[in-house]
Amino acid sequence: MKQETLLLIGVAIVWFVLAAVYAFAPSLGMPGYARVWGAGAVVFLILAAVLGTIKRPT
Amino acid sequence: MNMKTHSPASMSFTNRLAALSRTDRLLCGLLIGFALLALTLGIAYGVAMALARSGALSFLPDTPYRILTLHGTTAFFYWLYSAQAALLIVLAVGETKNGIALRSIAWIGAILIAAGFMLSELSALVGTPLLYDANPELGLDDPAVVAGMAGGYLLLAAGLTAISVSGIATILRGARTRADGFSALGFGLFALAGFLIVSAVAAVNAFLPNLLWALGYTPFPKNATTEWHILFHNLHYLPLMATVLVWYALARGLTGTGSITGASFSKIVFASYLVFVPPTSLYHMFLEPNLPEGMRVAGSLLSLFVSVPTLTAFLIIVASLEAHARANGATGLFGWMRRLPWANPAIANMVVAMLTMLIGLVFAFVLIQEKLAPLLSDTIFVPGYFHFFAVGTISQTFLAAMMVMLPAISGRPLWRPAILSRMPWIVLAGLLVFGASGIAAGFLGVPRRVVDISYDGAAPAIWPVLMALLGAGGVLFATGLAVSVYGVARSLIPARMPMTATAEPDAGWRVVGAPTAPAWTGLVAVVVLVVAMYAATIGAFEFMQALPADVSGTTGH
Repeated sequence: MKQETLLLIGVAIVWFVLAAVYAFAPSLGMPGYARVWGAGAVVFLILAAVLGTIKRPT
Repeated sequence: MNMKTHSPASMSFTNRLAALSRTDRLLCGLLIGFALLALTLGIAYGVAMALARSGALSFLPDTPYRILTLHGTTAFFYWLYSAQAALLIVLAVGETKNGIALRSIAWIGAILIAAGFMLSELSALVGTPLLYDANPELGLDDPAVVAGMAGGYLLLAAGLTAISVSGIATILRGARTRADGFSALGFGLFALAGFLIVSAVAAVNAFLPNLLWALGYTPFPKNATTEWHILFHNLHYLPLMATVLVWYALARGLTGTGSITGASFSKIVFASYLVFVPPTSLYHMFLEPNLPEGMRVAGSLLSLFVSVPTLTAFLIIVASLEAHARANGATGLFGWMRRLPWANPAIANMVVAMLTMLIGLVFAFVLIQEKLAPLLSDTIFVPGYFHFFAVGTISQTFLAAMMVMLPAISGRPLWRPAILSRMPWIVLAGLLVFGASGIAAGFLGVPRRVVDISYDGAAPAIWPVLMALLGAGGVLFATGLAVSVYGVARSLIPARMPMTATAEPDAGWRVVGAPTAPAWTGLVAVVVLVVAMYAATIGAFEFMQALPADVSGTTGH
């Protein structure tokens, strides 16, 4: 599950960075983007964490 | 050459569906049946709208806007998203031997979606027509309908979240029992389920303020348009991601073909959908007058990447099919296509879906140009091009999946495969007429959401001609689609004597693995597409600049 976990962490990072851009640049005037991309970052981070806990059958 | 002989993977997928418990089969059948009901209603509303636009049917002044609201709400939201919920669960359960996980949560999700559907339909039927985006500005004098539409969509979002949670649990259950962990499809479904949950959050962000205002709890939501655009952007990507996952599953299921680039690369492509979602969202804001110039430039540049994941997935799937067909003896530039299992109508649906995607992308690229978006966005160019995606690509792909799934679930063979195999070509013919006339009319300034375009005889003479063609094309593709829906829906009824899953036709390809046969068709198609995109965009710029001011001026609102 290492590849899948890393891919989802990568996705979460992209969403988090975009959320941060909208959150810390109030001149853009679009706080909704920060909320949605930020929530997405959290969801994908949770999914990555779930994958990280899975053990394959031996 | 790393090849081996192998029986088609459809055996395992359809056998797993056939082996589902009665309760799981009931849930899968209900989800698919509900999606088909929404599509049937959406087609009926769409035909009425096409006839109204063509002048063949006359309505009272407000009625076409009610029909348009019902068409958009039913087809765009409830067909496309209940279908995705159904496909997520059925494809997920095909990845495991143990049935649907957290089944009760999936049932709650199905009930929530059905409740949302009834609330949305009722609101659109009796209240002020808000159009499918449930714009609260149109409901200032009728807050009850704003509450109904927003409430319906919020129930849909809650239902999709519940079904996604069940889907995730089902996929994880399968992955825990596999020595190699996730399959590429399993990971793609896992990512899709996560994306559905995030989009449900976007729906709450868009519609909860409208609901609270309509119920009298908060001031009017001034940012409703912006919040809608955020959700709308996700709603562009979700069905396309589901579409390529179905293509991947069908290619594997009907021909035994795996990706020639390997499962690992396929996972990267599926994850790339999620990577590209936030950065490419800005072009939806091009009509906002207050958008800073820097953001417009950034949005234009980033919009160039909007179709990268879909085209990459298309390239891999087509190349994989071609390489495997050639490894199994196919010859000729396009001769390999004859080796596809055309006896199964799902193949014709999938091929036409790919063709319409390429056509739609050409004009999508025109529309997202920063200088052209303000001129074309409020014209009938928009429905002219997006039906290539919504009907030709996505709806036909979802129907293709159901053509394979439902017979396995119900045990009832697909109704008249030979007839169903012809329907996608009728849909394509209708779409070409509808799309060509709609796009041409858009360039000539026909407004998108004004049904009576006579303007007391001042409108150009070509407008009604193009609208008549648009109506004829719409009725034609709706007819082909309706026959496909009927054929699929027949398999909803469980058979008394279930067929065996091995009755499914397949390509008869016995050489699979990692063939090294050349496969250029997909790459050539992408090159042709890119050339067509640029040619159409340059042509659009030239045409719009050559228009007389009084015609181009009508493209406003």
